[in-house]
Amino acid sequence: MRWSGGGQWVCPRTQHKVPTHVSESDGRTGAGVARGGLRGDRFSRSRGHPAFRGFRAEGSWTLASYAGFFESELNRTVFWRTLKLGAIVTAVSAVIGYATAYSIVTLPPTARGRMIGLVVMPLMISPVARTYAWIVILGRTGFVNETIVWLGLSDTPIRFLFTETAVFIGLLQLFLPLMILSLISALENMPKDAVPAARVLGANWLQVFVKVILPLTKEGLVIGGTLVFTGSLTAYITPAILGGSKVLMLETLLYQRVTVANDFASASIIAMILMVMSFSANLLLKRLATARNKR
Amino acid sequence: MTSRLLSYVTLTLVLIFLLGPFVIIVAAALSGGETLAFPPQGLSLKWVMKVFEVESFRASFALSMFLAIFGTLAALVLGVPVAYAASRYRLPFGETIRTIVSAPIIVPGIIVGLALLRYLVIPLDVSVGVALFIAHTALILPYAVRVVSASLDNLRSDIEEAAVILGSSRVATFFRIVLPNIQSGILAAFILGFVTSFNQVPVSLFLSGPGVRTLPIDMIWYMEITYDPSVAALAALLAFLSISIVFLAERFLGFSRYV
Repeated sequence: MRWSGGGQWVCPRTQHKVPTHVSESDGRTGAGVARGGLRGDRFSRSRGHPAFRGFRAEGSWTLASYAGFFESELNRTVFWRTLKLGAIVTAVSAVIGYATAYSIVTLPPTARGRMIGLVVMPLMISPVARTYAWIVILGRTGFVNETIVWLGLSDTPIRFLFTETAVFIGLLQLFLPLMILSLISALENMPKDAVPAARVLGANWLQVFVKVILPLTKEGLVIGGTLVFTGSLTAYITPAILGGSKVLMLETLLYQRVTVANDFASASIIAMILMVMSFSANLLLKRLATARNKR
Repeated sequence: MTSRLLSYVTLTLVLIFLLGPFVIIVAAALSGGETLAFPPQGLSLKWVMKVFEVESFRASFALSMFLAIFGTLAALVLGVPVAYAASRYRLPFGETIRTIVSAPIIVPGIIVGLALLRYLVIPLDVSVGVALFIAHTALILPYAVRVVSASLDNLRSDIEEAAVILGSSRVATFFRIVLPNIQSGILAAFILGFVTSFNQVPVSLFLSGPGVRTLPIDMIWYMEITYDPSVAALAALLAFLSISIVFLAERFLGFSRYV
């Protein structure tokens, strides 16, 4: 986000200046005003597109630029926010995932197949469509706000869009199926009698989970967790649509650095951070897979 | 008994969370009002109709279709030989080749797009369209290789040997014995590649120029400037398109065997 002083916000995509009081209280729910959607003439100046300007004028690339990158408070905030949201989404999806996967695994076979189909279905649909639904639901005149006002819980609509909560909800909906599917296959490989045996021997549900289910499905949890965590870290669509420039995450920050500021040094650093995280997650998955094949 | 009940409640809530948004999108798409609101004011098909009238949607739909179809075909042309070589021969640097081929899945899409923009489009003056095509082909390649490999692993190699012994050349054997036998795997790879490419955003993000935008990116732009339900209508149409493609594939191919 680039603040040009005087309460103005410069749109990341169009470089239009938008007075911040407009984006603070966007009259509409839409992404439009809040993200400075006055698109302007982006496409009429073909070579003048922000991303095309001044490429040859960038500085050299040393390790010092990493330190410089983390000196900026905005960059630090975005970095920690991305990690934090990734961790929360992973943790919450693990909790919901276990409950759901266990419920599905204990169903009779036909019903189980159908339920798995329903869990897979959202994965086939365009993430843009999936994320857009939350604008309709969480918007100012959306489903949730209409209900809140109708119930008299609040006189004015509550702002949900462009908050971390909205991004969290969007990411959770996007990645929860991956966690559920990983846990289903882990639970299916668990010996069928383990849970009843533990119950008969007097363990309560918490003990059963911690001492029986968790150790036996650890691998599935790690696989699902890695998919969800890296997915959240490298998500673009959800933070772009539901977070806008108020809730920047690493990918949206990268996009903004390039298109607004032509700041390729920062963009490369963010790219490196994303690559390192993605590669290490992948290595971890590969190691787990080979460990399993050996057994 | 209580645990049974508890699991039904869990499943219902999770399904509402995962699938409820689509019900809302469809409701919004069929709304008669001028802006997005819930409950929708009246019922009409006007926003669904409007989707087909928006010029930029038509152009970006055509581009997305082109990329999804020809990008996937190109990925298959590259990927089928890779999969075949990897499954039938012990290759030198086999592991390295496998890593390179699967790299486009591991590297976050936005970085692929950024790299292509910086090192291909800008310095070499390659057109954005060509870069998009390369990016989508590279993105689909890992999926193509994986799905076709799975299909090849199920094909016994002694059928090929029988054909060779009976006098067929290696090339003829590939085209007349191997290809017909892995047909459905190739079709499954095509469908997976098509859906992946069509829904892809991050890779294409930096690779859009004047009049060159893929449909999902066009949707994001459109929803920034307007607040009418036509995006909801388009989202609903796309959701139905993806679901029916996958449903038909599962029905006739047993798609899930390959993915």
